[in-house]
Amino acid sequence: MGLRLAQFAFLVLSAPLVQGIIARLKAKLQRRRGASIWRPYADLGKLFRKEDLAPASASWLFRAAPRMGFALMLAAAAFVPVVASTGVLAFNADYFLLVYLLAFARFQMVLGAFDSGSSFGGMGGSREAMVSVLAEAPLVLSLMALALTAKAGSLGAIVAWTGAQSFFNISVVHVLALTALLFVAIAEAGRMPVDNPATHLELTMLHEAMVLEYSGPSLAFVEWAQAIKLNLLIALLVALFAPWGMATSLTVGTVALSLALYLAKLAVAMVAIAVLESSVAKLRMYAVPEFFGIATALSILAIVFTVIMRRQP
Amino acid sequence: MLIAFSGLFSLLIAAPLLAGWSHIAGSAGKALRLSAACSTVLALASGTVLAISAWVYGTPVNFDLSFFSPLPDLRFLFSLDRLSGFFLFIVCAVSIPAVVYSFRYIEHHYEPARAAWYWVLLPLFLLSMAMVVSSATVFAFFAGWELMTVLSAGLIFLEGDAEERRRDIFLYLLTMHAGAALVVSAFLLFAPHAPSLTFAAIRAAAQTMPGAEKAAIFLLAFFGFGTKAGIIPLHVWLPRAHPIAPTPVSALMSGIMLKTAVYVFLRFVFDFLSGGPDWGGYLVLAAGATSAVLGILYAMLETDLKRLLAYSSVENIGIIYLAIGAAMLCRANGAPAFAALALTAALVHSLNHAIFKNLLFLGAGAIAYRTHSLKLNQLGGLLKTMPMTGLFVLVGCVSIAGLPLFNGFIGEWLAFQGFLAGGQVSQTLPQLLLPLMAGVLALTGALAAACFANTFGTAFLGRPRQAETDSPENPPFSMLLPLGVLAGACLVIGVMPMLVLRPLWEVTVMLAPGGDFAGIAAIATGIQKVAVVVLAGAAAVWLVRAVVRLAPTWGCGMAQLTARMQYTATSFSKPIRIVFSPVYRADRKLDTTPADSPYFPKTISYRSTRTLSYERLLYRPVVDAIMATAQQLRRLQTGNIQWYLLYIFLALVFMLVLMRFR
Repeated sequence: MGLRLAQFAFLVLSAPLVQGIIARLKAKLQRRRGASIWRPYADLGKLFRKEDLAPASASWLFRAAPRMGFALMLAAAAFVPVVASTGVLAFNADYFLLVYLLAFARFQMVLGAFDSGSSFGGMGGSREAMVSVLAEAPLVLSLMALALTAKAGSLGAIVAWTGAQSFFNISVVHVLALTALLFVAIAEAGRMPVDNPATHLELTMLHEAMVLEYSGPSLAFVEWAQAIKLNLLIALLVALFAPWGMATSLTVGTVALSLALYLAKLAVAMVAIAVLESSVAKLRMYAVPEFFGIATALSILAIVFTVIMRRQP
Repeated sequence: MLIAFSGLFSLLIAAPLLAGWSHIAGSAGKALRLSAACSTVLALASGTVLAISAWVYGTPVNFDLSFFSPLPDLRFLFSLDRLSGFFLFIVCAVSIPAVVYSFRYIEHHYEPARAAWYWVLLPLFLLSMAMVVSSATVFAFFAGWELMTVLSAGLIFLEGDAEERRRDIFLYLLTMHAGAALVVSAFLLFAPHAPSLTFAAIRAAAQTMPGAEKAAIFLLAFFGFGTKAGIIPLHVWLPRAHPIAPTPVSALMSGIMLKTAVYVFLRFVFDFLSGGPDWGGYLVLAAGATSAVLGILYAMLETDLKRLLAYSSVENIGIIYLAIGAAMLCRANGAPAFAALALTAALVHSLNHAIFKNLLFLGAGAIAYRTHSLKLNQLGGLLKTMPMTGLFVLVGCVSIAGLPLFNGFIGEWLAFQGFLAGGQVSQTLPQLLLPLMAGVLALTGALAAACFANTFGTAFLGRPRQAETDSPENPPFSMLLPLGVLAGACLVIGVMPMLVLRPLWEVTVMLAPGGDFAGIAAIATGIQKVAVVVLAGAAAVWLVRAVVRLAPTWGCGMAQLTARMQYTATSFSKPIRIVFSPVYRADRKLDTTPADSPYFPKTISYRSTRTLSYERLLYRPVVDAIMATAQQLRRLQTGNIQWYLLYIFLALVFMLVLMRFR
């Protein structure tokens, strides 16, 4: 339990650092010096000390939304395995709950955007809603394909099953589901090419337009929750597709080894994100459905292959 | 028990009498109307007690009310097993808030004469629904089934009888009777095999009937009850008839009346036909998937709050049918444990939808009470002026979107688990279809979340748009209390699902034996842990000190933002409408004058109507065929008496010949 709590704390607390490292890597790739990797913490600290500006027309929900969204993100993070193969919370078919917790957090933010009373909030919320509508089916289908392959009822069981397989025995279902989930994770985390987290033009924003009116502690919660979301999605992908080396016993040696392995996998993911974001342009808004069309097709194929694999002796 | 049952009947019949007295007493009848309302509530409470005790009792309880029957052969027999008891609970318990709510609502909107009529019709309408779910003979069932249609149509008429409304009501009655014709045929096919048309005899007869006849009965029942339940493409009446009823009646029609069709369908498939034909599951699954996705996509398009809610009922019925279809497929393909899971999902979602759909319709009524408008794009910022209504409607929106910690999630989670049966069933096709249905359900859930974020956001958040129609008067306590009770139920079931799952499991065991309760019970502990984490997180976050200052909204440097600059419900749904434009096939019409200067027009008008392609494809030929046949048949009607005498003579000869050579 201690280890599981520790990995939960790790997901929450290291989230800004992951953002900072990705920003630094991107700067390096673009031949800039870039800010310190610790800057997201400084940003959060600064925001927490500032006053909270609320539009005069807004109701209590405007300030409640980012806080509830943050609390829901915490609950989602509690399901994700990092070093141990189960999260703090785990039970039968928990991955559906994880998906719906992320959806609930987004629902909160869309409502908060409506309450700002400007057209930007509505615009961002509307686009975010479109992205989430398209992302939901491939996300659930890929998780379903993995669960069917592993014949496992919960996230932890899937991870444990995959960890027990040899890497070279990994099935085509995993390849398809991984690709589909990568597409979804990029969109869910609001990264390129679906959304540009560093944009400064309201008309091109998705997530940033939605949270345009937030400032001070409210904004800090929004930013932090977004960072946790990226962190937990990376951890989820690592656990589902590359769980090898997870701690199976509670000795100092195995835990240290699995933590080191996880950090190495995380580093690979961060470099991949930085390279991807430096090399592709943001998609036109209405090219995003095609992006998800590919993801949905891949996830349907993953389901088809679960059936084909079963029919072989 | 019999006392409670007779109490339910007699009180529900007493209420109309009281209301009728108020008719005679004229304008002074408010006290009589109040007592009619009280007697209705009392009757529903006794019905609730009856439903619960029928569940506790377990074995079916029979009531013979044949003395109401016009003919000695047509028996008025009622029986409550656990399935009936559960649906009687939905009919009685969940409609109490709507009845309480409607007293002040009706006094506010209607003059005494119409209010008295309302209290005459409403209790009878409730009684007819109670009859449908508890009947044990075909005769009693049909008495309830037909009364339900006619009385609800009467209640719709109370709201007004303008030309357009009459057409909608006509369409409603027409489709209902077409559906009823199919249902009658389904029952009559049992007749040659059953000694009498009681449900017990039908159940026994179905064991020995040939498969082809059972398949025909299944198809008739599917389409007959599907018409009542409003599955796509048999739903055309639903978004027309539900929104034009008085708001509490809309709530009852959408939330509860549709469930009676689900009940009889379950009774037919799982009780009479013991699972239905092997291919039946595919049909139900396809109907569910179509209704769920298209229902919510059409809801997304609506800006009239009540029409939006009506389309969302189509979506929720779709989810229930998805779960029923999954249960049938699992049962036919050797996965009884998953069949039980999926069936529980269907039952739970039936209850949950009744609760949150009542809540949302009554909430819409509360909005109209204050703003006199149900057009989403004319509302805004209501959370500040109507804080309690806003909070309750928010709970309803979160629940209907299927988000965790609220009741909508429980049913969807169980359905998702049912779809995992893909790994257990023996045939290839269900192995493939069931997991894919999880994708359909996920898409539906995401669309519902977007749709209801849009609904709540437009009406309750941001700046008010309804300055000219707003009255400063909020709904009275007796209208808010029912909303609060329903919202509380959403939260309680969402966090403590065991309260309904454990009783429901007994119903599931009756219909689909062979399940395992442990798989279902997992959700309860899981969701409570999540609730603790979320609450702890929210509490910790709330402790973070924040100095709040009010400031104007950023307007890109413009000095004054107005309410008209906000995103409306229509603009919010635009990206989704573009992505799914092949589904909508909108007819757009853009007129600019003068036509030769498109960039500097003097006037410009834009109209867009959704044309339902399948409505044209599916219904137009049928209507045309009926009209053409009617034209041909008109030739028989010459109006000349000699011709009619000839018809009678020919008919007589025909009958004699037939009897001779039979």
